[in-house]
Amino acid sequence: MTLRLEVPTDFGFTEEHALLRAEARRFLAERLPIAELRRQVDAGVRLDRGLWKEIAGLGWVGLVLPERFGGAGLGWLHLGILMEEMGRRLVPGPFLGSLLAGIAIERGAGDAQRERWLPAIASGETIASLALVEPGGAFEGAAITASADPADGGFVLRGRKTHVVGGADAGIVVAAFREPSGRISLFAVDLPAPGVAIEDEVSIDPTRPTARIAFDGVRVGAGARLDGDGSRALAETLTRGSAALAAEQVGGAEAVLQLTRQYAIDRKQFDRPIGFFQAVKHPIVDMMCGIELARSLACGAAAGLDADTPAAPVHARMAKALASDVYAQAVRKGVQLHGGYGFTWDCDVHLYFRRALWSRPMLGDAIHHRKGLASALGGEA
Amino acid sequence: MARPEEATESRENAEFRRQVRAWIQANQPAHPGFKLPQTFLEVESERQFDFLREWQRKVYDAGYLGLDWPAEYGGHSDPHKRQRIVSQELNRAGAPFLVNVIGLQWAGPTILAYGSEEQKRKYLKNILSCEDVWCQGFSEPGAGSDLAGLQASATREGEGWVVTGHKVWTTLAHFAKWMILLARTDPTAHKYAGISYFLFPMDAPGVTVQPLVKMTGEGGFNQVIFDRAPMPADALLGQLGQGWQIAMTTLTFERGAAEGTGGGSATSTAESVRAVAALAKRMRRDGSPAAADPVIRDRLAQLWIEEEALRLTAQRARVAGLNMDDRPLATRLMNKLVFSELGQRLTELACEVLGPDAVLWLGDPSAPDKAEWPRAYLNSFGVTIGGGTSEVQRNIIGERVLGLPKTK
Ligand SMILES: Cc1cc2nc3c(=O)[nH]c(=O)nc-3n(C[C@H](O)[C@H](O)[C@H](O)COP(=O)(O)OP(=O)(O)OC[C@H]3O[C@@H](n4cnc5c(N)ncnc54)[C@H](O)[C@@H]3O)c2cc1C
Repeated sequence: MTLRLEVPTDFGFTEEHALLRAEARRFLAERLPIAELRRQVDAGVRLDRGLWKEIAGLGWVGLVLPERFGGAGLGWLHLGILMEEMGRRLVPGPFLGSLLAGIAIERGAGDAQRERWLPAIASGETIASLALVEPGGAFEGAAITASADPADGGFVLRGRKTHVVGGADAGIVVAAFREPSGRISLFAVDLPAPGVAIEDEVSIDPTRPTARIAFDGVRVGAGARLDGDGSRALAETLTRGSAALAAEQVGGAEAVLQLTRQYAIDRKQFDRPIGFFQAVKHPIVDMMCGIELARSLACGAAAGLDADTPAAPVHARMAKALASDVYAQAVRKGVQLHGGYGFTWDCDVHLYFRRALWSRPMLGDAIHHRKGLASALGGEA
Repeated sequence: MARPEEATESRENAEFRRQVRAWIQANQPAHPGFKLPQTFLEVESERQFDFLREWQRKVYDAGYLGLDWPAEYGGHSDPHKRQRIVSQELNRAGAPFLVNVIGLQWAGPTILAYGSEEQKRKYLKNILSCEDVWCQGFSEPGAGSDLAGLQASATREGEGWVVTGHKVWTTLAHFAKWMILLARTDPTAHKYAGISYFLFPMDAPGVTVQPLVKMTGEGGFNQVIFDRAPMPADALLGQLGQGWQIAMTTLTFERGAAEGTGGGSATSTAESVRAVAALAKRMRRDGSPAAADPVIRDRLAQLWIEEEALRLTAQRARVAGLNMDDRPLATRLMNKLVFSELGQRLTELACEVLGPDAVLWLGDPSAPDKAEWPRAYLNSFGVTIGGGTSEVQRNIIGERVLGLPKTK
């Protein structure tokens, strides 16, 4: 079998995309200058409800969800553009969790379930999250040990999940469990619920609060189990989430490029701007090239999702792998080229450094995705 | 494998593509049985040259070259701009490259942009048909990266000019009928202002072409020494003293920063990750297929990501709104740098995949794939050095795209 890696020639780009970008950029520049982000970080704000309401009011949370379930019904390229802009500004809060949970329900649930949960998620009224990773770390369904056992016409859920974005503020969590048959199923659990214990994590990225969730014999009705094939829904959610998170990573790396470029122009040593020296200039150029390449893959993945091509999962893997590496390299060089200042709390680069390290393993790191790509490349070893 | 361009192609274009594909299939020459060059940078012998030239003529006669060029100069004034489709299909078929690369891709488009009506009529058709092969006399022993430091001079003599000087690394000079030549016409003017651009006849008296041997041991480029070599008045392209500006136009074509191609591609070796992956399936390593080795798999996947990213970047560059950062030049100017360095890493990985047999060289009967991979790896440096080195590309991108302070 040969793999067809098609992306529409024009990526499906329209003026509407440009308008969304302009709108998002303007809004975030006004609403979230870096001083405001720092204020929140220093104050340990976990959730800025005002900001969350505004973002939800713009329709961003439900951007790709169908209109009949309260979403905006826009495409993945729209979302990619939005994620890139949010990544640039390090938008804090539970956005990613709600996004992933919405995708998982949209992909994995029946219509009645979609009607039940999606409108509240899309409107931002309910914060939602996806609980996938377990202690010990795994990127895909195969390693899931949390269990769902049938009981009294419903299920009893047991297990521990980590790195649940916005978990402590979530009203719904979508979590993956294994049934006795071995099958993976997704469950949407309304919170709070008896037997669910949620604990804040102390994470390297203070702008994206996460939680540990323990399910200790949690009883749910049969309707909590999403109707569709859990493994498949999970895979589709990971593909879409990877494409979206890659776009966010590209945005973050772009912000680091801008900061570093400006510093290379402003900072003088040996009577010249340091950007004159090729030991400084060339790594900044390499940073830019990497970002442009990763951006192309993120756009390609999004366009593939919009056109529903078989290439989309491959491009999503590629995008997440390259964007993870590119962001990590950008922050590494970014800190280094800011010199002593780069090592201080005052220098903004470390905020991006934290986000880069946080987002690298989430939804699969570069090593994980390259492993998957190697199989696709060779068909078989 | 279907390419992305085809996914949303108009019916007309899809039909055209099918025609081209069928024509190539029916007409692509069999391997001639002697060693063919991997790229135009290493055409060594007469028989290699004749074989390639014959192929280009055939493509032209079939109507598949110069589609985008005006009909009055031998092209086809194709309103659909379908030359790209032909190039893609030639590539895909692994057809021999079109040998007149400098003519088709750099000299021709530059003449189209700056030439007089007579010059266009005189040169362009013969470029397409491969009647005349072109070479490029820019670099000199003392002026490589610092191209504007060139010293070769052209001085007025009667109606025409005489050229004295020394050019180096001149690809295809040993077969070329014409050279795009940069020479200093005003030694007193500022470095950049005193240069003019000429269309020089290689058969002029006083021209000596001396072959240079590349590190692969093969021929392909030359030194060209001019000893009061004459050229006629109409050899001047554009205005006197405008040479630097015109040269920059040529370089944007050469570095892939602009599309000006009369058609064709510069290489016929499919140096794609797929080819190396296929190699890895054939080669063994510690008793198993090399393709089963997790480290090799990881590196193949990495290069596949970059190859695909580069392809999508070229595609994205054509969608203005998706350039996104108000630096549209970025995606164009980075092309040569990323492409050439990727090619280098890919061919190097191929050599590693070969294992100990990577040391077998051209002519050894048991060399895997006739030693094409180590040869391609050595040759890959021609691309990271020629046409402006990677270091110089980084300077250009840093300064022109990112606005970093200029390196002198
Ligand atoms: C295969 C091949 C084919 C060629 N064909 C042609 C041809 O047909 N016609 C033609 O005119 N020329 C041709 N060239 C010449 C080519 O354009 C030059 O080799 C190239 O521009 C580099 O110049 P140089 O060789 O003098 O190296 P140099 O300029 O001497 O460079 C030596 C090293 O110093 C580095 N360096 C130099 N300046 C800087 C700087 N400012 N910043 C950072 N690093 C720097 C370079 O990157 C390189 O690593 C060809 C070259 C090759 C390899």
